[in-house]
Amino acid sequence: MSPPFDDLSGSVRPEIPALFVREWARLAGPGSHWSGSQRVEIAASARAARQGSPPEQWSLPSSALQAASLLGATPARASRSWAESTIADLGPGPYVELVGVVSRTAAVDSFYRAVGSALARFPDPVAGDPSGVVDQAARLGAAWVPMVGGSSIVGALSAVPPEAEAQEDMHGPLYLTYEQMGDLQFERGLSRPQMELVAARTSALNECFY
Amino acid sequence: MLRASSEATNTPLDPRGITSTSIDPLVRGGSQLVGFVDAVLAGGDLEGVTVLLQDTLGEDAVVDAAGVIANFEMMNRIAEGTGMPVGKGSLARTEEWRSLVGLDRYHHD
Repeated sequence: MSPPFDDLSGSVRPEIPALFVREWARLAGPGSHWSGSQRVEIAASARAARQGSPPEQWSLPSSALQAASLLGATPARASRSWAESTIADLGPGPYVELVGVVSRTAAVDSFYRAVGSALARFPDPVAGDPSGVVDQAARLGAAWVPMVGGSSIVGALSAVPPEAEAQEDMHGPLYLTYEQMGDLQFERGLSRPQMELVAARTSALNECFY
Repeated sequence: MLRASSEATNTPLDPRGITSTSIDPLVRGGSQLVGFVDAVLAGGDLEGVTVLLQDTLGEDAVVDAAGVIANFEMMNRIAEGTGMPVGKGSLARTEEWRSLVGLDRYHHD
Protein backbone atom coordinates (compact mmCIF):
# COMPACT_ATOMS: atom_id res chain seq x y z
CA MET A 1 0.00 0.00 0.00
CA SER A 2 1.36 3.42 -0.89
CA PRO A 3 2.00 6.03 1.80
CA PRO A 4 0.31 7.70 3.61
CA PHE A 5 -2.03 4.75 4.18
CA ASP A 6 0.50 2.16 5.35
CA ASP A 7 -0.50 2.79 8.93
CA LEU A 8 -4.01 1.38 8.45
CA SER A 9 -3.39 -2.22 9.33
CA GLY A 10 -4.70 -4.85 11.73
CA SER A 11 -8.28 -5.77 10.97
CA VAL A 12 -8.87 -2.93 8.49
CA ARG A 13 -10.09 -4.60 5.30
CA PRO A 14 -7.46 -4.02 2.56
CA GLU A 15 -10.10 -2.52 0.28
CA ILE A 16 -10.33 0.51 2.58
CA PRO A 17 -6.71 1.75 2.41
CA ALA A 18 -6.80 0.90 -1.32
CA LEU A 19 -9.88 3.13 -1.60
CA PHE A 20 -8.12 5.96 0.22
CA VAL A 21 -5.16 5.71 -2.15
CA ARG A 22 -7.61 6.17 -5.04
CA GLU A 23 -9.35 9.03 -3.28
CA TRP A 24 -6.12 10.88 -2.55
CA ALA A 25 -5.11 10.49 -6.21
CA ARG A 26 -8.48 11.92 -7.25
CA LEU A 27 -8.09 14.76 -4.78
CA ALA A 28 -4.61 15.69 -5.99
CA GLY A 29 -5.41 15.76 -9.69
CA PRO A 30 -7.42 18.28 -11.68
CA GLY A 31 -11.16 17.77 -11.51
CA SER A 32 -13.87 18.89 -13.87
CA HIS A 33 -13.76 22.52 -12.73
CA TRP A 34 -11.04 22.92 -10.11
CA SER A 35 -7.30 22.35 -10.46
CA GLY A 36 -5.48 19.84 -8.26
CA SER A 37 -4.12 22.58 -6.00
CA GLN A 38 -7.59 24.08 -5.66
CA ARG A 39 -9.10 20.69 -4.81
CA VAL A 40 -6.47 20.10 -2.13
CA GLU A 41 -7.11 23.58 -0.80
CA ILE A 42 -10.86 22.92 -0.65
CA ALA A 43 -10.18 19.74 1.32
CA ALA A 44 -7.67 21.45 3.62
CA SER A 45 -9.94 24.39 4.38
CA ALA A 46 -12.83 22.04 5.15
CA ARG A 47 -10.61 20.03 7.50
CA ALA A 48 -9.35 23.23 9.15
CA ALA A 49 -12.94 24.33 9.77
CA ARG A 50 -13.82 20.94 11.28
CA GLN A 51 -10.82 21.18 13.57
CA GLY A 52 -11.58 24.77 14.52
CA SER A 53 -8.13 25.80 13.27
CA PRO A 54 -7.43 29.48 12.71
CA PRO A 55 -7.94 30.72 9.14
CA GLU A 56 -4.98 30.40 6.79
CA GLN A 57 -4.04 32.27 3.65
CA TRP A 58 -5.98 30.44 0.97
CA SER A 59 -6.06 31.32 -2.71
CA LEU A 60 -9.60 30.08 -3.41
CA PRO A 61 -12.48 32.51 -4.04
CA SER A 62 -14.06 33.51 -0.75
CA SER A 63 -17.40 31.89 -1.57
CA ALA A 64 -15.63 28.57 -2.23
CA LEU A 65 -13.77 28.84 1.06
CA GLN A 66 -16.96 29.66 2.90
CA ALA A 67 -18.75 26.72 1.28
CA ALA A 68 -15.92 24.31 2.08
CA SER A 69 -15.86 25.50 5.69
CA LEU A 70 -19.61 25.35 6.20
CA LEU A 71 -20.09 21.96 4.54
CA GLY A 72 -16.96 20.61 6.18
CA ALA A 73 -17.81 21.60 9.75
CA THR A 74 -21.53 22.37 10.03
CA PRO A 75 -23.33 20.93 6.99
CA ALA A 76 -26.77 21.20 8.58
CA ARG A 77 -26.43 24.98 8.44
CA ALA A 78 -26.63 24.92 4.65
CA SER A 79 -29.87 26.54 3.49
CA ARG A 80 -31.48 27.00 0.11
CA SER A 81 -30.82 30.74 0.07
CA TRP A 82 -27.19 30.24 1.04
CA ALA A 83 -26.73 27.55 -1.62
CA GLU A 84 -28.43 29.64 -4.31
CA SER A 85 -26.16 32.56 -3.56
CA THR A 86 -23.04 30.36 -3.53
CA ILE A 87 -24.04 28.59 -6.75
CA ALA A 88 -24.75 31.94 -8.41
CA ASP A 89 -21.21 32.94 -7.52
CA LEU A 90 -19.32 29.71 -8.33
CA GLY A 91 -21.55 28.08 -10.94
CA PRO A 92 -23.40 24.79 -10.42
CA GLY A 93 -20.61 22.51 -11.69
CA PRO A 94 -17.85 23.92 -9.47
CA TYR A 95 -20.24 23.90 -6.52
CA VAL A 96 -21.17 20.24 -7.08
CA GLU A 97 -17.50 19.31 -7.36
CA LEU A 98 -16.76 21.19 -4.14
CA VAL A 99 -19.51 19.28 -2.34
CA GLY A 100 -17.96 16.03 -3.57
CA VAL A 101 -14.44 16.91 -2.47
CA VAL A 102 -15.51 18.16 0.96
CA SER A 103 -17.78 15.19 1.65
CA ARG A 104 -15.22 12.54 0.71
CA THR A 105 -12.46 14.23 2.68
CA ALA A 106 -14.74 14.24 5.71
CA ALA A 107 -15.23 10.50 5.19
CA VAL A 108 -11.50 9.75 5.03
CA ASP A 109 -10.77 11.92 8.07
CA SER A 110 -13.59 10.35 10.07
CA PHE A 111 -12.36 6.85 9.34
CA TYR A 112 -8.86 7.77 10.51
CA ARG A 113 -10.23 9.34 13.67
CA ALA A 114 -12.45 6.33 14.34
CA VAL A 115 -9.58 3.83 14.14
CA GLY A 116 -7.43 6.03 16.35
CA SER A 117 -4.95 7.15 13.68
CA ALA A 118 -3.59 10.62 13.02
CA LEU A 119 -5.22 12.21 9.98
CA ALA A 120 -3.58 11.50 6.63
CA ARG A 121 -1.35 14.20 5.19
CA PHE A 122 -2.90 15.75 2.10
CA PRO A 123 -1.33 14.78 -1.23
CA ASP A 124 0.81 17.11 -3.28
CA PRO A 125 -1.32 18.56 -6.08
CA VAL A 126 -0.81 17.28 -9.59
CA ALA A 127 -0.55 19.92 -12.29
CA GLY A 128 -3.04 20.01 -15.14
CA ASP A 129 -6.13 21.74 -16.39
CA PRO A 130 -9.65 20.86 -15.24
CA SER A 131 -11.37 18.56 -17.72
CA GLY A 132 -14.63 20.50 -17.96
CA VAL A 133 -16.53 17.18 -17.91
CA VAL A 134 -20.22 17.68 -17.07
CA ASP A 135 -23.38 15.81 -17.92
CA GLN A 136 -25.40 18.09 -20.18
CA ALA A 137 -28.55 16.10 -19.36
CA ALA A 138 -28.55 17.36 -15.75
CA ARG A 139 -31.59 19.47 -14.93
CA LEU A 140 -32.65 21.48 -11.92
CA GLY A 141 -35.46 19.80 -9.98
CA ALA A 142 -36.51 19.80 -6.35
CA ALA A 143 -32.92 19.83 -5.06
CA TRP A 144 -30.60 22.85 -5.15
CA VAL A 145 -28.29 21.52 -7.87
CA PRO A 146 -28.99 20.03 -11.30
CA MET A 147 -29.09 16.24 -11.47
CA VAL A 148 -29.56 13.58 -14.09
CA GLY A 149 -32.80 11.60 -13.87
CA GLY A 150 -34.48 13.44 -11.00
CA SER A 151 -33.50 13.99 -7.39
CA SER A 152 -31.91 11.01 -5.68
CA ILE A 153 -29.08 10.74 -3.21
CA VAL A 154 -27.08 8.40 -5.45
CA GLY A 155 -27.47 10.88 -8.31
CA ALA A 156 -26.85 13.96 -6.20
CA LEU A 157 -23.51 14.74 -7.88
CA SER A 158 -24.49 13.40 -11.31
CA ALA A 159 -24.11 16.80 -13.00
CA VAL A 160 -20.36 16.21 -12.63
CA PRO A 161 -19.93 12.50 -13.49
CA PRO A 162 -16.44 11.99 -11.96
CA GLU A 163 -17.82 13.21 -8.63
CA ALA A 164 -20.79 10.82 -8.78
CA GLU A 165 -18.40 7.96 -9.65
CA ALA A 166 -16.16 8.87 -6.72
CA GLN A 167 -19.16 8.88 -4.38
CA GLU A 168 -20.12 5.38 -5.50
CA ASP A 169 -16.51 4.22 -5.23
CA MET A 170 -16.45 5.30 -1.56
CA HIS A 171 -19.88 3.90 -0.72
CA GLY A 172 -19.06 0.23 -1.30
CA PRO A 173 -15.89 -0.32 0.74
CA LEU A 174 -17.00 1.92 3.62
CA TYR A 175 -20.61 0.76 3.89
CA LEU A 176 -22.38 -1.20 1.14
CA THR A 177 -22.38 -1.09 -2.64
CA TYR A 178 -25.52 0.41 -4.12
CA GLU A 179 -26.55 -3.15 -5.08
CA GLN A 180 -25.95 -4.48 -1.55
CA MET A 181 -28.19 -1.83 -0.01
CA GLY A 182 -31.25 -3.89 -0.89
CA ASP A 183 -29.95 -6.81 1.17
CA LEU A 184 -31.41 -6.20 4.62
CA GLN A 185 -29.84 -9.41 5.95
CA PHE A 186 -26.31 -8.30 4.99
CA GLU A 187 -23.74 -9.13 7.66
CA ARG A 188 -20.00 -8.50 7.95
CA GLY A 189 -18.36 -7.28 11.16
CA LEU A 190 -21.76 -5.81 12.00
CA SER A 191 -25.27 -7.00 11.22
CA ARG A 192 -27.35 -4.76 8.99
CA PRO A 193 -29.42 -3.31 11.88
CA GLN A 194 -26.18 -2.56 13.74
CA MET A 195 -24.82 -0.81 10.65
CA GLU A 196 -28.02 1.19 10.31
CA LEU A 197 -27.94 2.18 13.96
CA VAL A 198 -24.45 3.62 13.42
CA ALA A 199 -25.68 5.39 10.28
CA ALA A 200 -28.72 6.80 12.08
CA ARG A 201 -26.69 8.03 15.07
CA THR A 202 -24.12 9.63 12.75
CA SER A 203 -26.88 11.41 10.85
CA ALA A 204 -28.52 12.52 14.11
CA LEU A 205 -25.27 14.04 15.39
CA ASN A 206 -24.88 15.78 12.04
CA GLU A 207 -28.49 16.95 12.36
CA CYS A 208 -29.15 15.55 8.90
CA PHE A 209 -32.85 15.06 8.27
CA TYR A 210 -32.34 13.18 5.02
CA MET B 1 -33.22 1.35 6.60
CA LEU B 2 -32.84 0.80 10.35
CA ARG B 3 -36.50 0.00 10.78
CA ALA B 4 -36.63 -2.15 7.64
CA SER B 5 -33.50 -4.12 8.54
CA SER B 6 -34.58 -4.66 12.14
CA GLU B 7 -37.94 -5.98 10.90
CA ALA B 8 -36.30 -8.15 8.23
CA THR B 9 -33.93 -9.71 10.75
CA ASN B 10 -36.32 -9.81 13.74
CA THR B 11 -33.91 -7.61 15.66
CA PRO B 12 -35.34 -5.85 18.71
CA LEU B 13 -35.10 -2.07 18.36
CA ASP B 14 -36.05 1.01 20.32
CA PRO B 15 -35.49 3.84 17.83
CA ARG B 16 -35.49 6.42 20.60
CA GLY B 17 -31.96 5.17 21.30
CA ILE B 18 -30.87 6.98 18.11
CA THR B 19 -31.28 10.38 19.67
CA SER B 20 -31.30 9.65 23.40
CA THR B 21 -28.25 8.06 24.98
CA SER B 22 -30.26 7.26 28.10
CA ILE B 23 -32.37 4.79 26.12
CA ASP B 24 -30.98 1.38 25.13
CA PRO B 25 -31.58 0.93 21.38
CA LEU B 26 -31.92 -2.83 22.13
CA VAL B 27 -29.89 -3.83 19.05
CA ARG B 28 -27.08 -6.09 20.32
CA GLY B 29 -24.13 -3.88 21.21
CA GLY B 30 -26.29 -0.85 20.42
CA SER B 31 -25.22 1.27 23.37
CA GLN B 32 -21.57 0.55 22.63
CA LEU B 33 -22.07 1.46 18.96
CA VAL B 34 -23.80 4.72 19.87
CA GLY B 35 -21.02 5.51 22.34
CA PHE B 36 -18.44 4.85 19.64
CA VAL B 37 -20.15 7.19 17.15
CA ASP B 38 -20.38 9.88 19.80
CA ALA B 39 -16.71 9.60 20.71
CA VAL B 40 -15.64 9.77 17.05
CA LEU B 41 -17.84 12.70 16.08
CA ALA B 42 -18.37 14.65 19.28
CA GLY B 43 -15.21 13.80 21.19
CA GLY B 44 -14.71 11.79 24.32
CA ASP B 45 -12.86 8.72 25.46
CA LEU B 46 -12.40 7.10 22.04
CA GLU B 47 -9.89 4.57 23.30
CA GLY B 48 -12.19 3.48 26.11
CA VAL B 49 -15.30 3.10 23.95
CA THR B 50 -13.29 1.31 21.26
CA VAL B 51 -12.13 -1.29 23.78
CA LEU B 52 -15.70 -1.63 25.03
CA LEU B 53 -17.04 -2.11 21.50
CA GLN B 54 -14.25 -4.54 20.66
CA ASP B 55 -15.01 -6.60 23.79
CA THR B 56 -18.73 -6.64 22.96
CA LEU B 57 -18.80 -7.21 19.21
CA GLY B 58 -15.20 -7.91 18.14
CA GLU B 59 -12.45 -6.10 16.26
CA ASP B 60 -14.14 -6.37 12.86
CA ALA B 61 -17.14 -4.55 14.30
CA VAL B 62 -14.95 -1.54 15.13
CA VAL B 63 -13.69 -1.38 11.55
CA ASP B 64 -17.20 -1.76 10.14
CA ALA B 65 -18.54 0.94 12.46
CA ALA B 66 -15.68 3.24 11.43
CA GLY B 67 -16.56 2.64 7.78
CA VAL B 68 -20.26 3.34 8.29
CA ILE B 69 -19.52 6.56 10.19
CA ALA B 70 -17.17 7.63 7.39
CA ASN B 71 -19.72 6.86 4.70
CA PHE B 72 -22.47 8.81 6.42
CA GLU B 73 -20.16 11.72 7.12
CA MET B 74 -19.92 11.83 3.32
CA MET B 75 -23.58 11.18 2.56
CA ASN B 76 -24.85 13.70 5.13
CA ARG B 77 -22.73 16.42 3.52
CA ILE B 78 -23.88 15.47 0.04
CA ALA B 79 -27.53 15.54 1.16
CA GLU B 80 -27.16 18.87 2.96
CA GLY B 81 -24.99 20.46 0.29
CA THR B 82 -27.29 19.56 -2.59
CA GLY B 83 -30.56 20.21 -0.75
CA MET B 84 -31.69 16.65 -1.30
CA PRO B 85 -35.45 16.53 -0.70
CA VAL B 86 -37.13 13.66 1.11
CA GLY B 87 -39.95 12.30 -1.03
CA LYS B 88 -43.56 12.73 0.06
CA GLY B 89 -43.98 8.95 0.23
CA SER B 90 -41.02 8.59 2.58
CA LEU B 91 -42.26 11.46 4.71
CA ALA B 92 -45.67 9.83 5.05
CA ARG B 93 -44.24 6.38 5.80
CA THR B 94 -41.88 7.67 8.49
CA GLU B 95 -44.15 10.18 10.21
CA GLU B 96 -44.74 8.12 13.35
CA TRP B 97 -41.08 7.17 13.66
CA ARG B 98 -39.85 10.73 13.14
CA SER B 99 -42.14 11.94 15.85
CA LEU B 100 -41.03 9.16 18.24
CA VAL B 101 -37.34 9.79 17.63
CA GLY B 102 -37.62 13.58 17.36
CA LEU B 103 -36.12 13.82 13.87
CA ASP B 104 -38.37 16.60 12.57
CA ARG B 105 -36.26 19.16 14.39
CA TYR B 106 -33.59 18.60 11.71
CA HIS B 107 -35.95 19.41 8.83
CA HIS B 108 -35.11 22.70 7.18
CA ASP B 109 -35.99 24.33 3.88
